Amino acid sequence: MVARSSAHFPEPSSRGLPLPAPTNGARYHTYRSDLSQVRALVLQHAREVGLPDGRATDLMLAVSEVAANTLRHTRSSGTLAIWHNADEIVCEIHDEGVITDPQVGRRKPAPDATGGHGLWIVRQVCDLVELNSDGNGTTVRMHMALRPPRTGN
Amino acid sequence: MDLLTTSVATVESGSEPYTLVELVGEADVTNSDALREVLDAEVAKQPRTLIIDLSGLRFMDSSALHVILRANRAMDRQGGVVALASPREPVAKMLRLTAADQLVPVYQSVSEASAG
Repeated sequence: MVARSSAHFPEPSSRGLPLPAPTNGARYHTYRSDLSQVRALVLQHAREVGLPDGRATDLMLAVSEVAANTLRHTRSSGTLAIWHNADEIVCEIHDEGVITDPQVGRRKPAPDATGGHGLWIVRQVCDLVELNSDGNGTTVRMHMALRPPRTGN
Repeated sequence: MDLLTTSVATVESGSEPYTLVELVGEADVTNSDALREVLDAEVAKQPRTLIIDLSGLRFMDSSALHVILRANRAMDRQGGVVALASPREPVAKMLRLTAADQLVPVYQSVSEASAG
């Protein structure tokens, strides 16, 4: 939420402003128990738009970790949305879960920790992670740039 | 078809037999309980060495990793060793990212793992 802090939310917060709607042309998929299909969709879309293989599997891993939280912490389904523009591919997971710790995933768990790696991994592999959690549920948006920043010429 | 299949064997090699657990498919939160049951059952037999062959594993999430780390801790407590063999790239990346590869030895092949 770094990019979206405001005077009302001076600290990066899990209770930040609602995220703007996905762009037109987003692909949607609802999941309840099968994450394999979620991963396959992310990988397929990422490859279609030209994300290099290693980064495509990174994005797949990140989305799978967030979607796994839906299965762990809610009793309802989650929704995956994928879209892209010239600069980036974005995957969004929305579910009815609530995240109360704004620092979630910002500290590296101990190597022998047997929990708490999920969102930390997401923050490691994605170029940008936006997180919004309120009474309507939790939305996590994971961004991957499609090309390296221009160096100018 | 199951997302994850596990097979277990006791391998007689040289002086010391070892337990070999082979994972094939995708290991995630939806099957981590089943994976835990398989590993718990093998750990309970108190082998000296438990080798997990990851060559057929296309994906592993943090739930599956945590199950492996729990098995490693239990083996460690009873004086045994867990070794991981031939992780493919998405799985190897997970082991590197979490530094689990510094906790559990990772080998290129099962034969290297069994040689220690």
